[in-house]
Amino acid sequence: MTTKDEDVDRAFKRDLLASLPNLRAFAVSLTGRHDKADDLVQDTIMKAWANQGSFTAGTNMRAWLFTILRNEFYSQMRKRGREVQDTDGLFSERFSVHPEQYGRLDLQDFRKALDTLPDDQREAIILVGAAGFAYEEAATICGCAVGTIKSRVSRARSRLQEILGVSGESDFGPDPGDAAITSRAFGS
Amino acid sequence: MSDDETRNKDKMTTAQSNNFRPGAMQPNASISRKLREFYDAVQEEGIPDRFLELLERLDEAEKNAKAVKAK
Repeated sequence: MTTKDEDVDRAFKRDLLASLPNLRAFAVSLTGRHDKADDLVQDTIMKAWANQGSFTAGTNMRAWLFTILRNEFYSQMRKRGREVQDTDGLFSERFSVHPEQYGRLDLQDFRKALDTLPDDQREAIILVGAAGFAYEEAATICGCAVGTIKSRVSRARSRLQEILGVSGESDFGPDPGDAAITSRAFGS
Repeated sequence: MSDDETRNKDKMTTAQSNNFRPGAMQPNASISRKLREFYDAVQEEGIPDRFLELLERLDEAEKNAKAVKAK
């Protein structure tokens, strides 16, 4: 093995490691569960490792990994058929939210709203809105046109806005402390 | 826009008119923020040991395979 090959190998492993937290967050977004997400990430690492040769050094490894993970996810779903999902316990059990975050982030509510989106809209808004991909990169990862991604993201936003705007109305109001200040300020 | 500014704006809206839905001011900003908060919460968990161990094993297996080939 030449030194150059070793450098390439090291760079591959380093970039793979660096991408893992983001890749794992994407897996959790797709599967809705940490245990399934981690199995999916493990399969993705194995695939990526076995296909190192097909990765062109210097190109976007993150997009390459996301593509592998996404393909793996959908091919496993097709193989198994969609398992019966426990929609109530799905995120509440696995996705723990610290009490101090609860009121501020409403992460569980948000997570539930996200889960009501069709798969294609959810992955689009996650890739563009959270994982940090450009529309063009997201289109490559999903194997569709840029315009398709844009319209999926836009529909996903409207849908989330609708769900969170209606069901979570009271959550947007002032908290009890603020309410006291507000009533003092506007009460007299 | 800072969180405080958002809160103040919501407060003003609530005080001005109860018909105007609070939170409807910056719906996309609020959704984008929640999306990132959710995503970042998972990212911040870091890399589970099982993946570090897996990569070590893959690395070892590759080195051994190459060593055998070289003989």
